[in-house]
Amino acid sequence: MSQAPMPDFSSSVKLKYVKLGYQYLVNHFLSLLLIPIMAIIAVELLRMGPEEILNVWNSLHFDIVQVLCSSFLVIFISTVYFMSKPRTVYLVDYSCYKPPVTCRVPFATFMEHSRLILKDSPKSVEFQMRILERSGLGEETCLPPAIHYIPPTPTMDEARSEAQMVIFTAMDDLFKKTGLLPKDIDILIVNCSLFSPTPSLSAMVINKYKLRSNIKSFNLSGMGCSAGLISVDLARDLLQVHPNSNAVIVSTEIITPNYYKGNERAMLLPNCLFRMGSAAILMSNRRSDRWRAKYKLCHLVRTHRGADDKSYYCVYEQEDREGKIGINLSKDLMAIAGEALKANITTIGPLVLPASEQLLFLLSLIGRKIFNLKWKPYIPDFKLAFEHFCIHAGGRAVIDELQKNLQLSGEHVEASRMTLHRFGNTSSSSLWYELCYIESKGRMRRGDRVWQIAFGSGFKCNSAVWKCNRTIKTPKDGPWSDCIDRYPVFIPEVVKL
Amino acid sequence: MFAKEKTVMEENRVRLICKRTVVSTKPVEQGRLYRFSVFDHVMEPNHIRFVYYYQSSKTREPGEITKKLRESLAYTLNCYPIVTGRLVKETDGTEENRWKVKSNDAGVRMIEARATGTVEEWRRSVNREEELKLVHWEDMYHLPYYWSTFYVQVTEFESGGLAIGLSCTHLLADPVCAMMFIRTWADLTLTRNMMTPPIFHSLPPRRFSSHKLSNNQLLSHYIKYCSLTAPPLNITEDHMVTITLLFPDPMVQSGENEAGLTAFEILSGLFCVCVSRAKGKRNELTDMSLCLDVRKLLRLDQSYFGNCMVYHKVHYSKPVKAIDRLLLLSYVVQEIHNVTKGLLDYHAVMDLVEWLGSNNNNPISNGSDLVCTNLENMGNPRPMMFEEDLMLSHLSCYVEGPVAGGGQVIVLPSSSGDGPMSRVVMVSLPQREMVKVLEDELLQSFSPVLLWRLQNKKINKD
Repeated sequence: MSQAPMPDFSSSVKLKYVKLGYQYLVNHFLSLLLIPIMAIIAVELLRMGPEEILNVWNSLHFDIVQVLCSSFLVIFISTVYFMSKPRTVYLVDYSCYKPPVTCRVPFATFMEHSRLILKDSPKSVEFQMRILERSGLGEETCLPPAIHYIPPTPTMDEARSEAQMVIFTAMDDLFKKTGLLPKDIDILIVNCSLFSPTPSLSAMVINKYKLRSNIKSFNLSGMGCSAGLISVDLARDLLQVHPNSNAVIVSTEIITPNYYKGNERAMLLPNCLFRMGSAAILMSNRRSDRWRAKYKLCHLVRTHRGADDKSYYCVYEQEDREGKIGINLSKDLMAIAGEALKANITTIGPLVLPASEQLLFLLSLIGRKIFNLKWKPYIPDFKLAFEHFCIHAGGRAVIDELQKNLQLSGEHVEASRMTLHRFGNTSSSSLWYELCYIESKGRMRRGDRVWQIAFGSGFKCNSAVWKCNRTIKTPKDGPWSDCIDRYPVFIPEVVKL
Repeated sequence: MFAKEKTVMEENRVRLICKRTVVSTKPVEQGRLYRFSVFDHVMEPNHIRFVYYYQSSKTREPGEITKKLRESLAYTLNCYPIVTGRLVKETDGTEENRWKVKSNDAGVRMIEARATGTVEEWRRSVNREEELKLVHWEDMYHLPYYWSTFYVQVTEFESGGLAIGLSCTHLLADPVCAMMFIRTWADLTLTRNMMTPPIFHSLPPRRFSSHKLSNNQLLSHYIKYCSLTAPPLNITEDHMVTITLLFPDPMVQSGENEAGLTAFEILSGLFCVCVSRAKGKRNELTDMSLCLDVRKLLRLDQSYFGNCMVYHKVHYSKPVKAIDRLLLLSYVVQEIHNVTKGLLDYHAVMDLVEWLGSNNNNPISNGSDLVCTNLENMGNPRPMMFEEDLMLSHLSCYVEGPVAGGGQVIVLPSSSGDGPMSRVVMVSLPQREMVKVLEDELLQSFSPVLLWRLQNKKINKD
């Protein structure tokens, strides 16, 4: 028994060094190649001596016309290059909404309300209790005031007031942080999946802050929890077209109108997991913002699996047998999420992975497809490409699944798990809470790369890659400022209620 | 004095806005179990209701003060994990199936309501049933784990003023600590500072060596009354009515000049005499029990949270001859004073505590005695104010259950600035007795001010 582990350990250590050596060799291949070349040239130069060098120089017959033409050519090519390069888009700053402590919903209160409202279906209450026990949420998540009533009053008025509360607070905070004046906003994108009144939420923002009449405003609804990154993508495309502009993105999910009042089990899940939250983000392509911007957007990859029926129907809003509307989550949600992630990785891999991983992946692919060798598909090591990971806090199962698939350590998924614990599933804004967590822990250094992955109904998997522009000091205020010292907490598998 | 019912009473003057649960702002330490003391267990079947009336000199947006109170209540609840917990019955080997509180952070129910008119108009024309609309109460559910033990109702009066109703089960709190809860909440709202946070602990054990008193009247009273069941209420004939009287200066009026007497003693004596005559007892006085706070006696701080009030029956040592009523009053007051200063002492209470702990599983009932509760010191040292401009104009207190006995006299501090010696007395008696008591000249000689007009739908004109 004691014999078996030893050889594994020693062989794994050897393997580790081999891997490291291989990675270093392949990733720095060009620079490694350059060294011997430079050495040879230096030796040659030293050998030739200064007179011979002068002779070589004179024999090149530099003509003034030739010099001018070649310099014009160089200038022309470089101009074309710089003009056709896509504009760099920066994330100047963002702010996350911190719900008031009076909106807190402990497990006991949630279960009690559930019991009082669903008097006739104790089994559904039992089911909710089991979900809550294993959900990974903490006792400090918040629901909007309308859901605190017995019975809840999800009227349109209440939904609007929740929207006003979460959006305006986040935006006020953003204005304060960045010194942005409302009249200077050029592009406004608001995304909120399940609440879409007329006039739209973006119109509500324009009305409140008296934004300019020629503002380009967009309101994305129905796009699920990945709508945050879709908004970033839209902002990026718009910022390519409009020079010297900025864009404000508001990502939120309004919980009030979507409290499911029925007792169909698959539809009760969102009640247990979704919580109040929002984020406001300022993006810009101005040169002047380059110095103060926090992040630079490197890549954004969107993958849509809607063409496949199973993926399309896996998160489906419908009426239950009693006519009550809720969101039906299918049982193979995790499998579908895994598939979507694989599709996304296949696209993003070549953009971000270092050469060593890409080579290995290519070799494994060739081996499996062309030579039909029975190799396991090689999962590239994304830890080499990124320092930080922000996985959408959709639920404990999602984070577990991704941790397994991407072979991430506990520390990599810590931001996601802790956000789920403290804020619950805040839908599209959860990525920003996670980013704020990493910053609050003081882990964000200049040059660090962050990978944000979001899943959404449809089924979509969207990824964004950011590069940190400047080392970020621990923020003094923000949603995590009063509790960051308590984190990370140990989240038990099952919380006994 | 008895007005006919007004048709305006038919409309519902109190309009319910919403019901919700208020939780503390910080999560509690999960899984803690709080045990009740013997005093708590013995009071189990009863519940308490308070209504605090505030008049405001400032006009406010409707809902503004309710929101503020709700937020400050959330902060207040951080110090009351017992209040936000839920009752469980757990057997843990040593103790039998008794109630405990599991602090699970569930919160208290809060009801928000609006009422028409002003506080003054309301108080002038309302009776007991109407007033109880300002206090929400729910009897224990089939599943006690989901039942809130405390209910807070905030009613805003549309033309100015506020009523705060608090109801709770007597198992957790007695009137003293319920009033301290409101005081803590008021302090926090006004000054953002909790000046008298509650203290939770079990009753301290006996300090000195035990020597059982040979004649412990307190203990014998409990031994006898804990095996009583509550008497059947004769609802059809004679149901209870409640009135509130303000006594401007009972000490002076009584002419008693013996040092050490309190207004409570004089007022209880007064009502004992008047109720005895109303019951038609010629040569005897009615049975009377005093409900007294023993925190000081047990060297406990006033912010000790839990039941700490005992019922002591007043014994009349001499046979009574009802010739001179003032002499009779003086005699009764003396007997009451004997109880409060003499008979009710540390050892008596500790004997009771020990007996309750080892021998008793039954709750106490006061039979058909007149119960006089002393809450006269609860107005000190400073008034309970939520905001600078909100003045406490009146306070009502109801205790319901087997301890209510056959009639109640609750002596409360007076809040309307009538002088430090003035007292407000809430009297609940069967209707017939009430009519006679109010006509009694001895009572009238104390110049009480009727703060409520007697309004009752089922008055039988004599």
